[in-house]
Amino acid sequence: MSAAVGSERPQVVLHVQQALSYTMFDCKWVPRSARLLCLGSAARGTGIAQLYELHGARLELLREIEKPKPIKCGTFGATSLQQRYLATGDFAGNLNIWNLEAPEIPVYSVKGHKEIINSIDGVGGLGIGEGAPEIVTGSRDGTVKVWDPRQKDTPVANMEPVEGESKRDCWTVAFGNAYNQEERVVCAGYDNGDIKLFDLKSMSLRWETNIKNGVCSVEFDRKDINMNKLVATSLEGKFHVFDMRTQHPTKGFASVSEKAQKSTIWQVRHLPQNRDIFMTSGGSGSLHLWKYEYPAQRSKKDSEGSEMGVAGSVSLLQNVTLSTQPISSLDWSPDKKGLCVCGAFDQTVRVLIVTKLNKI
Amino acid sequence: MPVWLREHSWRQSLAAVYLSLPLRGARATPANIFCGEQYLKVSIPPFLFEAILYAPIDDTNSTAKIGNGSIFFTLYKKEPAMWDSLTLANADKEKLQYLRENAVLKAQEKAKEETEAKKITKQEHKKYALEATMKLEEAERKRIEDLKEKERQKVAKELELWKNQQKDADKYKSIQKRGELHQEIEPIKERKKEKMNKTGISNEGISKTRLKSTKGCHGSCSMFSQNLKEEQLPAPRSAATIKVNFTPRVFPTALRESRVAEEEEWLHKQAEARRIINSDLSELEDLKEEEKNPDWLKDKGNKMFAMGNYLGAVNAYNLAVRLNNKLPLLYLNRAACHLKLRNLHKAIEDSSKALELLTPPVPDNENARVKAHVRRGTAFCQLELYTEGLQDYEAALKISPKNENIEKDAEKIRHLIQGTMQSS
Repeated sequence: MSAAVGSERPQVVLHVQQALSYTMFDCKWVPRSARLLCLGSAARGTGIAQLYELHGARLELLREIEKPKPIKCGTFGATSLQQRYLATGDFAGNLNIWNLEAPEIPVYSVKGHKEIINSIDGVGGLGIGEGAPEIVTGSRDGTVKVWDPRQKDTPVANMEPVEGESKRDCWTVAFGNAYNQEERVVCAGYDNGDIKLFDLKSMSLRWETNIKNGVCSVEFDRKDINMNKLVATSLEGKFHVFDMRTQHPTKGFASVSEKAQKSTIWQVRHLPQNRDIFMTSGGSGSLHLWKYEYPAQRSKKDSEGSEMGVAGSVSLLQNVTLSTQPISSLDWSPDKKGLCVCGAFDQTVRVLIVTKLNKI
Repeated sequence: MPVWLREHSWRQSLAAVYLSLPLRGARATPANIFCGEQYLKVSIPPFLFEAILYAPIDDTNSTAKIGNGSIFFTLYKKEPAMWDSLTLANADKEKLQYLRENAVLKAQEKAKEETEAKKITKQEHKKYALEATMKLEEAERKRIEDLKEKERQKVAKELELWKNQQKDADKYKSIQKRGELHQEIEPIKERKKEKMNKTGISNEGISKTRLKSTKGCHGSCSMFSQNLKEEQLPAPRSAATIKVNFTPRVFPTALRESRVAEEEEWLHKQAEARRIINSDLSELEDLKEEEKNPDWLKDKGNKMFAMGNYLGAVNAYNLAVRLNNKLPLLYLNRAACHLKLRNLHKAIEDSSKALELLTPPVPDNENARVKAHVRRGTAFCQLELYTEGLQDYEAALKISPKNENIEKDAEKIRHLIQGTMQSS
């Protein structure tokens, strides 16, 4: 912990720490509740989902669900607030949507990919945004597929490599720009450093770039607004913040990059209550809290008169080291500002509270 | 020989003896005075005053005052009694000696004890200081800890509160749901019928699921309102595929898979090779600028080879090699010329040199290496060294297994070898 408590910087307080008996890959808050979900893989090769509830200074296990294949990632993004169904991607490439009250049979199931689903995101649910609920999955087989829970077996969009092209693993996916019923955009990051932005309304590739190192995590600051900022984190401790409001015909989007930690930055997550604050989690077991500051002018004209974006700057608000192992998953609670859960490869789940976020 | 001081004068009271000793102009310092329990000495070379006292005195409390050319002693008696005289009368030499030594010893002991005592007090002072600082630091730390604890508790309380709110909200929602369920079953059924007529869905069999998904009238928290939204949701997107290309790299391997070290080495070598110009310019002065450029010469050579002018091509390559002997392609092409000219040994030499320069083996110089192996193999075969030829062909096949010509030629050579072996 750095800095005296008396100062005005946000502090990261470790509230609860719980040891698990399995490797946890993803953790998510159940919306509108004080419950959280831990998804992972048991030593015997089966998938585990555990539902915990915060009780004072400890986590109480409410329910444990075991499935045949280890679970890699999950999201609540595409479900309604009443149903709160969990969509998961597992190691065998299956996409399943579960009702946590009756988890024996999935509500929706499809063998979406040939290899492990590395990342999943949902949009259109939880009362956020407009348009159809959709789920996007990115897999090691190089494809990114968008699913609609109302349509069985076939994806509504499929981003796959050209025939004959050697495939690159897709490591992360994110939805964005879902500000009305038609518009939607999917951003995918690959292991060779490619970041591709697909526009689902026109079903085309809208922008691509390469940041040299494999992209571990991408996230828009808000899914349900006209796309504003995109943060992409990569291996070797670098992350890039792209200003997505102005697209230059050749140069693409303006960006600022920061080299924060010596190790891989595994995850980036924006604070749901303030879109300019985000937290990155690193391979050295540390968490960094950042704030983005906008430049005086967000766009300017270049020599040929076309609009070009101007990237702002990023400043570190706080950092804390919680573990010796990488912190692979991170999630902010959408209901309580500053409450977050993180899971590390040392088989512990930690609930943290970040204070003084109101004063930023 | 010391000079004795004898003009001392003294008087006494019950408790103390007052001794005045005039110094004959000598300056006295505290170091010159030595006082034991029963022995007093003042030694200011060459002057000396010595006295064995009548009775023991308390030497720690006694004082000596130096001033006005004399020393004034105030000696406190150990036992209050009147002394007959200042000194012991019948002091023989031995006793004197003994007393002197004793006094000295005692003084030494005292000095030792004093230093000991000082040390101890010093240590204690240090310890005390240390403890005091530690206490202060502890206090500071505790203060910070307390602040943190308070913060934590505050935050935990807020969390509890919020959580309870959530629970209550949930309960309220579920109660409301049930309430509305009861309330609205009747009007819903009617509405449903209406709706069904409107949309023309006649199948009542699906009523069970439909019951759940019919329109709710009001109540933002009820489960029907969600389905309100569902009605308004757009249909699922029409399926489409987007094809992607991935960024090509100079070496098509990801950073973590690549054999970067070797590839770097190869690139480096190429760059180096291009920079070398080893030549003695004296001979080449009459050449034109462009003729000094190995690349240009190589091109010239290639053109001549294509036109069938093999000797000319060889000349061009020779000059290029003289200018820069690190470019593998020059040797490669020259080997091809020699093959055509049936200078088989030279062809072999050149192919070998080319292969040497084409290390380290990377995907980039695959083509060149295949060619070098094939040319050398052909030369060997034409020299009827079929086994060596076959070796080269197999090496070429290893690099590019899909090349049919090489396959065919390798087969031919194998047959030839078997044929010669049978016949011999």
